[in-house]
Amino acid sequence: MSRIIKGSGTRELLAQLAAESEHLSTRDRRDFLKKGIMAVGGMASAVTAGNAVANTSNLPPMEPQWGKMLGHGVVEYPYGQPSKFESHVVRRTVPWLTAESISSISMSPLQDLKGIITPNGLVFERYHAGVPQINPDEHRLMIHGLVERPIIFTMEDLMRFPSVSEIKFIECPANGGMEWKGAQMEALQFTHGMLSCCEWTGVPLRVLLDEVGVKPEGKWILAEGADGSHMSRSIPLEKALDDTIVVYAQNGEMLRPEQGYPLRLINPGWEGNTSIKWLRRLEIGDKPWYHREETSKYTDLMPDGKARKFSFVQETNSVITSPCPEHPIVRKGFLEIEGIAWSGRGRIKQVDISFDGGVTWKPANLKGLVLSKALTRFSFVTKWDGQPWLLQSRAIDETGYVQPTLKQLREARGGNSIYHKNSIHTWSVAANGEVKNVQIT
Amino acid sequence: MFKLPKAVCVASLVGALAFSVGQSAHAGEKFGFGETATPEQIAGWDIDIRPDGKGLPKGQGSVADGEAVYEQLCATCHGLFGEGEGRWPVLAGGQDTLTDDRPVKTVGSYWPYASTLFDYIRRAMPFTAPRSLTDEQTYQLTAYVLYLNEIVDEEFVLTDENLAAIEMPNQEGFFVDTRPDVKNARCMKDCADPAKLVVTGTLQGITPVGHFIEGADAPAASHEAQEELEREKEHQRKAASGHEGAAQAATEAPAPLSDAALAGQSVYNNACQACHNSGIAGSPKFGDASAWAPRIKQGMDVLMGHAINGFSGESGIMPPKGGRVDLSDQQVKDAVAYMVESSK
Repeated sequence: MSRIIKGSGTRELLAQLAAESEHLSTRDRRDFLKKGIMAVGGMASAVTAGNAVANTSNLPPMEPQWGKMLGHGVVEYPYGQPSKFESHVVRRTVPWLTAESISSISMSPLQDLKGIITPNGLVFERYHAGVPQINPDEHRLMIHGLVERPIIFTMEDLMRFPSVSEIKFIECPANGGMEWKGAQMEALQFTHGMLSCCEWTGVPLRVLLDEVGVKPEGKWILAEGADGSHMSRSIPLEKALDDTIVVYAQNGEMLRPEQGYPLRLINPGWEGNTSIKWLRRLEIGDKPWYHREETSKYTDLMPDGKARKFSFVQETNSVITSPCPEHPIVRKGFLEIEGIAWSGRGRIKQVDISFDGGVTWKPANLKGLVLSKALTRFSFVTKWDGQPWLLQSRAIDETGYVQPTLKQLREARGGNSIYHKNSIHTWSVAANGEVKNVQIT
Repeated sequence: MFKLPKAVCVASLVGALAFSVGQSAHAGEKFGFGETATPEQIAGWDIDIRPDGKGLPKGQGSVADGEAVYEQLCATCHGLFGEGEGRWPVLAGGQDTLTDDRPVKTVGSYWPYASTLFDYIRRAMPFTAPRSLTDEQTYQLTAYVLYLNEIVDEEFVLTDENLAAIEMPNQEGFFVDTRPDVKNARCMKDCADPAKLVVTGTLQGITPVGHFIEGADAPAASHEAQEELEREKEHQRKAASGHEGAAQAATEAPAPLSDAALAGQSVYNNACQACHNSGIAGSPKFGDASAWAPRIKQGMDVLMGHAINGFSGESGIMPPKGGRVDLSDQQVKDAVAYMVESSK
């Protein structure tokens, strides 16, 4: 891998590349350098490649170019965008997974995210009929069925209710599902990226249920979207009365179209598919509906041919985000190993790290906010001297549940359950700092 | 404000108790926001069906009639026999495969209730034109897909009376989630025998490396297809940067679109692209000059005729208006103009 650049020959070549690219625009220059670097040593990560060569005329003792001129003024960009040097931080998909991008999934770039909040433009996408463009003035939420008074709410009505704001992760239950039978995704973004965490603002569903008056025989709620797939899921009333939120905003602004604008459900800690986007209807009934997304899909096939249904909760999981295949270790010496942990059952209590493939474990520190059903960041500062590692993280939540090994999961579920793979993940760190996705059995 | 009879207050006690502190300033009192939904409003949106038949509209449809509708609207993606084209869902077959290494989960082999099929077709199919089918067509298609799975015979007529009684082969194949199903311990040392660790690496050749090359992000059916796409792009880039290519590119700006083509652009984006963007089921791909050339050669009248009235050829099936019968003839013609002019 070229990310570890060694030897004067390589340096000379890079300097030459940098010189040759002087006349190009910044973007083209980045492309040019990236391609050049790939030519030097094969596939390179966009990140390191982009940073590998700096124009020395902007470095001390020289005064950088941007210090000798004026930048743009206010509202030149009324809605701000990330720096052009961060253009590699984007959602990505695995094209062969699905038949068509209109009904598909993309992954968040976990390898480049900081803290626990996923920026709105990087929240993973999952559509079944593409993203509808909904005029909020023409959007309605209908609540009916076994209720005293069926009600139609406008967006304005919904926003009049006292609101809550909660930081919760949302995860597709198929996250990691491509690796039940073996490691095959050579990137963190693809092994764990069907996962995001936002501050969601809206009305607790129990408030709306109180408003319509659920009849005593009401036990289940059908939630339905307004998009072309009219995605529908049956949700037990207990969940709705516990912590389900009817959400209209994320991270301080109204929902993004791809996240359900103008209205969606959030079922904290549960498989993302139940958090219906473009929410238009909630029907209260006495039994579940057994629709396509809770029978044909989102059921977990066991080795005996029977399948689990209503497997809602996303169990405790964790992954090391730095280092990772996209961000290998580039220097010997002090190193902060970082990662994220999360549990659909509550708070993360502890994360342990193993350097030897799970033979010995050391406790890591939790840092920043530790919230229920939210991403929690962990950290372990150590030194790397070029020794190979089999790096793992293992999370424990407040219920005492310990993240299982892959072997344990396979023994219990076989290899065809697709969903809910939350096993301990292993990165193999080579002597040159390269990180590979491996499995230990 | 909506007045509550006493009985309602008791009935809603569950909700009121669950109300968190700070949410309700006046316990028991409603906010009174929103309008009462009328039966007509509810009827228009209440499309869901349950296994017991609740929600089914009055009506019926035969297997025989379903075959014609299926071939016109469904076969393009799902295959003539429900075998599935490309990565589109397989509908039939797969019996007794649920314990196999590669189970085939179809309506017949996996789905527990026939109501789910009616409900899903009604809410989401056909993919390119959801909510466009009549109740009769929905009965017909449900009957036909059941027939493809040998659950009903070819004489069968499905009705709102008999649907709930249909027994699906895998009806008993599901059980409620029992997790946590594994119990790991928080061991800190000597947790495994280092000598017995088996480390397996990444299966090669499936990570979409193209995503790490700018400009290469595009749907492709496989890793090979992705690589081929990248090679092709690289080839084009080289050709364009060569002396002749560069000179040509400088003088030859793309021809501007006609008014019809411009009008057809939004029709394409809303309808046709579902198939023509990826070229599924043998459809000529948008921008693929070699795929379009032989079709354009037949003349625009033939092309327009096929697009409006449907066409079944060697390479694939074009349903009438691509299944979007809601489109006017003119809209279809405009969209064809847009595709043709963009694929020369």
